[in-house]
Formats: sequence, C-alpha cells, structure tokens
Amino acid sequence: MTSRTVITGIGVVAPNGVGADAFWKATQSGLSVLDRVTRAGCEHLPLRVAGEVRGFDPGAMVEDRFLVQTDRFTHHALAAADLALEDARLGRADYEGDPFSVGVVTAAGSGGGEFGQRELQHLWEQGPRFVGPYQSIAWFYAASTGQISIRRGLKGPCGVVASDEAGGLDAFAHAARAIRQGSRAMLVGATEAPLAPYSIVCQLEYEGLSTGEDPERAYRPFTDKACGFVPAEGGAMFVVEDEDEARRRGATVRAVLAGHAATFTGTRRRDVSGEGLAHAIRGALREADCAPEEIDVVFADAIGTPEADAAEAAAIADALGAYGRKVPVTAPKSGTGRAYCAAPALDTAAAVLALEHGVVPPTPNVYDVCHDLDVVTGSARAAELRTALVLSRGRMGSNAALVVRKGA
Amino acid sequence: MSDRLTLEELAALMKKAGITVDPTELASRPHSAFDEYGLDSLGLLGIVGELENRRGRALPTHADRCKTPGEFLDLVNHSLMTGA
Repeated sequence: MTSRTVITGIGVVAPNGVGADAFWKATQSGLSVLDRVTRAGCEHLPLRVAGEVRGFDPGAMVEDRFLVQTDRFTHHALAAADLALEDARLGRADYEGDPFSVGVVTAAGSGGGEFGQRELQHLWEQGPRFVGPYQSIAWFYAASTGQISIRRGLKGPCGVVASDEAGGLDAFAHAARAIRQGSRAMLVGATEAPLAPYSIVCQLEYEGLSTGEDPERAYRPFTDKACGFVPAEGGAMFVVEDEDEARRRGATVRAVLAGHAATFTGTRRRDVSGEGLAHAIRGALREADCAPEEIDVVFADAIGTPEADAAEAAAIADALGAYGRKVPVTAPKSGTGRAYCAAPALDTAAAVLALEHGVVPPTPNVYDVCHDLDVVTGSARAAELRTALVLSRGRMGSNAALVVRKGA
Repeated sequence: MSDRLTLEELAALMKKAGITVDPTELASRPHSAFDEYGLDSLGLLGIVGELENRRGRALPTHADRCKTPGEFLDLVNHSLMTGA
C-alpha cells in the first residue's frame, strides 16, 4: 500500500444497528444484542444464541427484482454498499463516464444458504423442474460482488475472496491493490447470513461453536468461562479510494488503509494460529511502517475458546513485545456475535469509528479477563487514537492483520 | 390444459421475478424488450419453467430466448394451440 488508499464511505448492516451511526452508538455503549435464535426453521436446532439482524427491511432498500434473485447475505451486501456509497457521496454520475474505474471486492464464507436450502427443498419435494433459475447464481460466494456490480453499473476489477473469516481483511488488500493499479474507487467488504437451518447444521461441527443457552454467557472471550463463539449475520461495506482522487473530489477521508498481511497455519490448529497471527501482525506493521508502540487499540479476533484466546494473546505479545500487555484490546463482537468473513469487516468499521471518536468501545459480557491483555470491559474508554490494528483468524487456518490509521 | 397465456398471467409471472408491470402497459408496448421492463434472461427462463409446470407440457426450447412480451406470447400460444 505505497500510494495511500483511504476509506471514504462506511455502510453497516449489523445485529446492533443498520447504518454506521446506529452501529457505533450501540457498539460504544457496550450493548449486547445476542439473543435466542428466532430465524424460521431454526428453533429446534442445538444452536440457541446468535446475533440476528432484526431491524432491517430489505424491501425498503433494494428493488424487488434484485431481492428475488439473491439470498439474504446479498441483501445485506446490497444495502450496505448503498449506505457506503451514500456516505462517500459517490454517485453514478461520478463514475458513469468511466465505469471501468470502480470495482467491487467482497469476502464470503457462508454463501446463500437460505436461498439454496429453499431451492433444494423444491428439488426433492417436487423435482428439478421446480428449481428456480436464480439458484444458479444466488448461493455462491461471488453473488454479492456480482449483484453490486450489476446494480450500480461498476465495471472495474471485481472479485471475491474465499479465504475464511480472515478473507474479510484480505479483501481490503485486494481493493488497495486495485487502487494502486489505477482504479479510482472500490467497494469492499463482507456480509454473511449464516442463520438458516441448512447453514446452522453445517456449523454445528465447527470447533468452538458455542451452543450455550444464555445470551449473556454464550460468548465470553478472554475469560476462564470462555466456551466458544456465537455466530452472527450482517456485515459492512466500504468505499475506498486513492487518497489524491478522494481529496480532489472533496470527499472526507475517514481513515487510511495502512498495512495488511496474511498467513496460513492449517485447519484445526488453533494452538499454532498464534504464530501465524504474529507473523501477520508483523507484516502489516511493516507495510504500514508502524512501530508496535504506535498501535493505539487492537480489535481482537476473540474466538472465545481457551486455546484460541491464549494463541491470540501470545500473538499480540510476540508481535508487539512488552507493549502488547499495555495496548488496549477490545472485541465488540462479543455483543453482536461472530459474522464469519463479515466479523473483521464490522471490526474495521468499529475501528474507523473509534479513531474518529477517540473512544475504545468495550467488550460486552466479558468481565474477568484471564490473559495478560488490557481488554477494555464494562464501558468505553476515551483515548487519543491514531492507529488501530484489526485481527482475524479463520477456522480453516487463515490469519490476517490490518493496520488502519486515522484520516484527515 | 391448453389455455392461452394472457398478458394478465404474464404480468403475474413477471411479478414473481420481481418485475411489477401493469398488463395494460404490456399491451400498449408488446414489442419493447424484456430488458426494458427489467427482466433478465434468467428471469425469463424462470417464467418458462413456471409456465411449463402450470400447463404440464414443454414449451419450445427457444422460448426463453424471446426478446419481447409480444414475441413470447405469440410463440407460447402458437405452441399451446397447435400442441407443437
């Protein structure tokens, strides 16, 4: 990321709010919105608690013809993309003269499970003639990128990162590369909707999935009560641009994408994920030309199992040295759930908002931290923030780190 | 069943593809492209499939390549009437 790539727009569809302002208000207050799973057909499944997006009416934001051909995860993406474009004040008139200058990159890990399940049920209940043609496009990881591109007329570089949860951070690196290679702006981010029966059944074997019954106790990372994570839906999309281009058109620079790195440590190896995460942190710091002491806040991955949390604490200590015990660490996702690829996208949104407000949001439902980390619990902490580090690990072994600096 | 496809039924089928259009509008400009109504090729493919299920018979293989409502209506109704 040599010429600077900056964030100029943020769009959020999260369990704790639709729109960046509502999301930030809930996030900085430490409100936990984890609750019993109420999505249709899921009541009997052993997953009891999740972060559902309830205050979202897709029909109010997206045209019917896009809704009927897409899954809920794409509904989230289309709405979040609109919110990001609106925030960046980047309209069709700005790029229709050169539609090849704006592209889209998303990350996805769950795909369109709800849509796919419905069509597969048609297949085995009624036969192949009753499967709708949009099944062919709706349930793939790439659906959100494609539909955003079509709906907004964006013909620049388009792609999807299928690299586990950490792909949500890798997407930013792909977008930054596209900017370096000459794109004027990119829509980037991740959204998920894994709370459908088929999708939940797929997750039941996930190492670390919490089947706790009590929303206040089901996801408590970094404590000795850690019993895994609860899943969530929603996500965030961003507009990123070349800094000079953004300033030329008078856009507000909300943050700078300063550095990213990723590693891979294999499946079911949470114990060694720390080593990979430490390498990723060092790589991201190097790209950002950032000393460990410059990191003002860490948005932790916070898987919420004792081994994974210990590995993350070790990674922070390894990469940041003695400062790793002093830097404020937060994991707002303990109040919203872990939205797979969208989790680090939401954390990046929270990180930018934290930098802007000079406030580290707290880690809901977490009280007694049993690792040598300064985890911000209880209420938000005011601090002068210039640089944030966002961490993510995937269950299949991807690890990534992103350094974000304050804009303006 | 060989009952004809009407503009009302076509409008209702388009509605299922997310396209809201009045049958009188289809009647007034039957030769406007489906594209202009916002219906894409997969949408038309879905309408063909639904019609085949409703009528219990296959439509010509090129039915989903029709460009306009008028062309589609002519092709479908000719097929339904002649049994071809």
